[in-house]
Amino acid sequence: MIVTALVLGPIVAGLLLYAVPRERGKIAAGLAALVAALTFALAIAGAHGADASLRWLSRPFAASFHLGFGPISFWLVLLLALATFGGALALNGARARNVAAQLLVLQGAMNGVFLAKDLLLFALFWDLMLIPVFLVLIDAGPYARAAWKYLLYNLAGGLTLLLATAAFGVVVGTTDVIGDPNAHVAIGAAWGIWIFAGFALAFLIKTPVFPFHTWMPDTYADLPPAAVAIVSAVQSKAGLYGFIAIALPFLAEQMAQARTLMFVLGTIALVYGALAALAERDAKRVVAYSSLSHLGLILLAIFSGSALALQGALVYILAHGLFSAALFLALGAVEEREETRDLARLGGLGARNPKLAGALMLGALAALGLPGLAGFSGEILILTGIFKAGYVWPAIVALVAIVLASAYMLRLFQGIMNGPQLPDLPERRDMTWLEGLAIAPLVAGFLLLGLSPGPVLTYHTIVTAAENTRVVGSR
Amino acid sequence: MSSGLGNFPSSADYGALLPAFLVAIVPLLILFVDLFYRESGPWRRVVAVGIALVWLIVAGVLQGLQYPHDVIAFGGAFVQGGFSIVFSEIVIVATIATLLLSIGVGRDDQVAGTTALLLWSASGAMLMAGAANLMIVFLGLELLSLGLYCLCAMSKRPTARESALKYLILSSMASGFLLYGSALLFGATGSVAFAALAAATVTPLLALGAGLFIVGLAFKLSLVPFHAWTPDVYEGAPLPITAFMSVATKAGTLAVLARFAYAALPSERAAAILAPLWVLAALSMLIGNLGALAQTDMKRLLAYSGIAQVGYIVTAFAGTTALGLRYAMLYLAGYTFMNLGAFAVVALMARDGDAVVGLPRFAGLARRRPWLAGAMTFFLIGLAGLPPTIGFTGKILILAATVGAGYAWLAGVLIAGTAISAYVYFKIVRIMFAEVDAAHVRDERSSNVLPWIAVGVCAAATFVLGIFPFTPSNVLPLLK
Repeated sequence: MIVTALVLGPIVAGLLLYAVPRERGKIAAGLAALVAALTFALAIAGAHGADASLRWLSRPFAASFHLGFGPISFWLVLLLALATFGGALALNGARARNVAAQLLVLQGAMNGVFLAKDLLLFALFWDLMLIPVFLVLIDAGPYARAAWKYLLYNLAGGLTLLLATAAFGVVVGTTDVIGDPNAHVAIGAAWGIWIFAGFALAFLIKTPVFPFHTWMPDTYADLPPAAVAIVSAVQSKAGLYGFIAIALPFLAEQMAQARTLMFVLGTIALVYGALAALAERDAKRVVAYSSLSHLGLILLAIFSGSALALQGALVYILAHGLFSAALFLALGAVEEREETRDLARLGGLGARNPKLAGALMLGALAALGLPGLAGFSGEILILTGIFKAGYVWPAIVALVAIVLASAYMLRLFQGIMNGPQLPDLPERRDMTWLEGLAIAPLVAGFLLLGLSPGPVLTYHTIVTAAENTRVVGSR
Repeated sequence: MSSGLGNFPSSADYGALLPAFLVAIVPLLILFVDLFYRESGPWRRVVAVGIALVWLIVAGVLQGLQYPHDVIAFGGAFVQGGFSIVFSEIVIVATIATLLLSIGVGRDDQVAGTTALLLWSASGAMLMAGAANLMIVFLGLELLSLGLYCLCAMSKRPTARESALKYLILSSMASGFLLYGSALLFGATGSVAFAALAAATVTPLLALGAGLFIVGLAFKLSLVPFHAWTPDVYEGAPLPITAFMSVATKAGTLAVLARFAYAALPSERAAAILAPLWVLAALSMLIGNLGALAQTDMKRLLAYSGIAQVGYIVTAFAGTTALGLRYAMLYLAGYTFMNLGAFAVVALMARDGDAVVGLPRFAGLARRRPWLAGAMTFFLIGLAGLPPTIGFTGKILILAATVGAGYAWLAGVLIAGTAISAYVYFKIVRIMFAEVDAAHVRDERSSNVLPWIAVGVCAAATFVLGIFPFTPSNVLPLLK
């Protein structure tokens, strides 16, 4: 019951928000934040609740409206609620009501992706995710270029996912398998490679991973900060979640076969993202490219077949979600004040905006992997895991890219906050309490996760180990 | 239950035909009542359309009651059962929606005539749904088409006459193909019954006849490369008639195609004879969607979109599996609601319910008329195959059936076509949600509010079918 409410509640609430007059954007945003906070509480209350299941199809394959918590999805739902809460609070301006409504629809759809225990339902919510982001994006620029790139890339992925799901259903006879340890899934080699290719393409595009990433910087740059906080923090994790929840248990052999390819793609993403982040002048694009780099690292971890690295991946998925949402919200606050994101035109804000500088600093430090914050816990686990599994060179390349993270994150921070105060920048007041409230839960999240990643880890030890034996075994 | 050839038809035979017969007879009543009006007035429309609506609902309910019973009537010439009833009901739904859209279109003294012609066309399509021999197919097809030739011309626009003439000539050509194919099939087997064709041995003559027959149907369905007439005809015809053609004509013709493909071909060679059909479906999905990319007129765009959508449906026939047939029927029902919904939205944007509606007219619609824009967005999402609509569910079922039948390449083409179509449909969404200066947009509202009923029903059906995809289980037997 609670799982159903977690999915349908935000969607219905989002549609109802259109009843709020356009001019009352702040009220709509506040209501959206309230709904997000409620979903957070609901998720904690319902974590051990029963699954909700309703028969959907019996032919050509069995499928159900089957929603339930899995060990990973629980944390992702919490992360999503935090990001939505922060994003909604940060909303203002003429379009606040529409964006708030779409954010809630997006939250519901993504909760559906994470909570779906049926592959067809997963595909349904996966495709549903596209619509709210597209609707937010078409407002963004005069030509909506980013919107088209986002839609066409991600729909291409969504369609290959659909085809792979149909083939999976036909071959296996049921799609009601996610998170079911007793599911009997036997996919022959002939079908397996195609089904895996379909899933993998969708997941790689959504994450995104080089060479499917070109939609990402444009989308992140054009989305309002509130929406990009959610898309970057959580939607990008849908692909990685897919690899862990669907590919690992059911297509382990194909994952092992694709390992070299994925390592190459992941490593390129790691290095290319870091270098691009060093060179970008647009502050949002710096963080966008840094995401490309960080997510490449997680891809390495998932495909390494190492239980340790996979645990690190889980921590890092959450860590990245928390700090990238915080970073984008802080950058949104900067952009709103100074009306630019150009690092060359910004500078010296720290003196007048100490609170904002503090928030950005915390986010940047978490992103560059400072020990004690969540990014570090994830990175160290992943690197150790990859290294121990015998992939020495990828580990070394990843280490170099992580070192570069310090360079671009500090460059970002210094470019905005330090240095002489530029005379042509308007002076605005420091972070408001509302903006602080938006970022605070995220910061608290990555502090806690950095100090004690234990709850996430122990919760998963058994599951991940079980999942991994199959991958390692097929190596 | 059925009478053999040479016997007198029994009452059961006429019972099977009753719904189509009812729809064919009521135009006489409508025309007769219309004689009593001395002067024009709104009542004249209301009475004509009202009689038609009530009658159609009665016929639809009567026909629904027949659903569990298979009746093989007139010695196997007309087979009424789950299969034909689903198609006929789709025709009835399309006709009802067309009437709702058309009540404000045209002159007062023309409405009875157009309504009558529309109902005759609908009865032709219903006849096609149950037709199980070549003669009845042709009879139904001509009954359907003759009404439409006139209806296409029923507009003040100069392009309407062009549309009608083009439709007349090209449709006649299609009928020629169909007739020639029928003649060859008769020559090869000595019978016009589908059942006899299925039992015959395959000769080159039979294969050629079947090929020509399918070409004729492909013309009517506007499958690529026989599609070129469709956008022009759709553009010129009055809007409600375009809506009717985009659904009812296709439903009737698809029923014939399905029955022919599934039941009228010798089973050992059916796959080889039908192979070119899958190529046509693939071409339709690609070229239909590519063609729609460039369109700026809403009716032309929906014409190209319809070409692609029929491609999806024919794809489901691939391998002639029973599941594929069921999903084709499901998707056709879904397409009916999504497409009629979109047409109803367009009708609500023209003052007289029949204007040329270019894409720029949609600019900023979300701000001006949020409900209309919301409904249109929902229908477009469905046509693009995204959830939560029957467009999504139907498509994945078709994919599963196609992959299961061993036509993975066709499923791949369907995916590619859908990817292209996303740009087509979401371009309209983008235009509707764009910020524009209201002064630059011609904002017309239809004085007729009845299309709102169509919008509401179609939206509800699009959603409900997407969540609960009822597929007709009782689709076989197609012949006996």
